[in-house]
Amino acid sequence: MLHALLLAAEEGGAEEAASNPILPTMNELFWGAIAFGVMYFLLAYVLLPPVQRARNDRAATIQANKDAAESARAKAVSATAEVSDQLAGVRAETVTMLEQARAEAEAERQRLVSRADREVQAMKDLVESEIATEREEALATMRPQVADLAVGAASKMTGRQVDLAAVRPLVDRYLDNPN
Amino acid sequence: MIGLEYPPIENLVEWPNYFGGDSFWALNKIGLISLLAMAIPAAVFLFSKKELVPRGMQNMAESTVEFVENQVILPAIGRDGLRYLPLLLSLFLFVFIGNLFEVIPTFQMPANARMANPMLLALIVWVVFIAVGVKHHGLTYFKDIVWPPGVPVGLRWFVGLIELITVFFIRPFSLAVRLFANMLAGHILLVTFGVLCIAVFTAGLIIVLLPLTFGMLVALTAFEIFVSFLQAFVFALLTAVYIDSSLHPAH
Repeated sequence: MLHALLLAAEEGGAEEAASNPILPTMNELFWGAIAFGVMYFLLAYVLLPPVQRARNDRAATIQANKDAAESARAKAVSATAEVSDQLAGVRAETVTMLEQARAEAEAERQRLVSRADREVQAMKDLVESEIATEREEALATMRPQVADLAVGAASKMTGRQVDLAAVRPLVDRYLDNPN
Repeated sequence: MIGLEYPPIENLVEWPNYFGGDSFWALNKIGLISLLAMAIPAAVFLFSKKELVPRGMQNMAESTVEFVENQVILPAIGRDGLRYLPLLLSLFLFVFIGNLFEVIPTFQMPANARMANPMLLALIVWVVFIAVGVKHHGLTYFKDIVWPPGVPVGLRWFVGLIELITVFFIRPFSLAVRLFANMLAGHILLVTFGVLCIAVFTAGLIIVLLPLTFGMLVALTAFEIFVSFLQAFVFALLTAVYIDSSLHPAH
C-alpha cells in the first residue's frame, strides 16, 4: 500500500515536473539554437554586409555631393572676393585719377591766377608809372607858376619885391613835401 | 452567472509536436515560431533592394539597422561597439519577431513565453561578454571583478563577491527571466481576457460586458505589441551594456 502510494506520488511528481511551464524543453532549445545560429550567420556574413555597403555608398554619395557643394560655394566665395578686390582696385584707381585731376586742375588754376596776378601787377605798375610820370610832368609844369604866384602873393603882402630865385628852393621843397 | 473555466497553465504554453515524437529535434509551435523569427527578418533583408533612396523593405531593413546602431550600440558602447552590430541586431530581431507572434492570429503565442529561447539567448550573451572581457583584458578581467580596483581594501572582498555573483550569475539569470516573465505575463493576460470574452458571450451578456472585455482585449493586444518591442530593445540594450562593461571593466 505504502509502496503504491509512493509510486503514485512519484508519478504525480514526475508528471508535474514534465509539465512545469517554466523549465525549457530540449526540442525548443534545439530549434531556438538552430534558428538563432542561422540568423546570426546570415546577418553577419550574407545579409547585413550588402545593406551596410548600400548605406556606406549612400553616405559617400551624400558626402561627395556635400563636398562638391562646399567646393562650389568656396569657388563662389573666392570669385566674389576676386570681384570685390577688382572693384576695390578700380575704386582706388578712380580715386587716384580724381585726385590727380583735381591736383592738376588746382595747379592750372594757380598758374592762371598767378599769371593774372602778374598781368594785373604789371598793368598796375604801368598805370602807377604813368600816373607818376603825369604827376611829375604836372608838377614840373605847375612849379614855375606856383613860384610866380607865391612870389607875387608874397610881394603884395609884404609890399616888397620878393626875389624869385631866393624863394624857388622853398617853393620846390614845399611842392616836393606839401605836408 | 458566468461559467468561467480557466484553462490550466500547461495548456497555454505547451504545444504538441508537429513531428519528431519525443526526440530533441521534435518541432512544436515554439520551434516553428523560432524558425519564422529567423526567416522573416532574413527575408526582409534578402529581398530589400540596395538603392540610393531606400523604399519599402530596404527602408525597413536599414531603419532597423540604424535603430540598433543609434539607440543601442552608440549610447551603450560607443563607436567601438559597431563590430557587435550583427550580434545585437540578431538578438533584437529574434526576440522582437518571436515576441510579436503573441498577437498574430493562429499563432498567438510568443516564443519567449517559454524559457528555452530566453535562456539560450542569455547564455549566448553571457558567453559573449565574458569572451569579450577575456579577449581585451586577459585574466585581469576576472581579477578586476573579484578584486575590484579603487575600492577600499577592507571592503574589496565583499564588493568583489557581490560583483562576482552579479556579473556571472545574476546578469544571465535576470536577462532570461525578465524576458520570459514579461512575455508569459502578457500572454496570460491576453488569454484571460480572451476567455473572459468567450464567457461573457456565452452567458449572453454581450451588450453589457462584452464591449468592456473586448475593448480591454484590444487595448492589451496593442500594449503587448509595445511590450514585445520594449523587451527586445531592453534585451539588446542590456547585452550592449554588458559588452561595454567587459570592454571597459574599470567603469
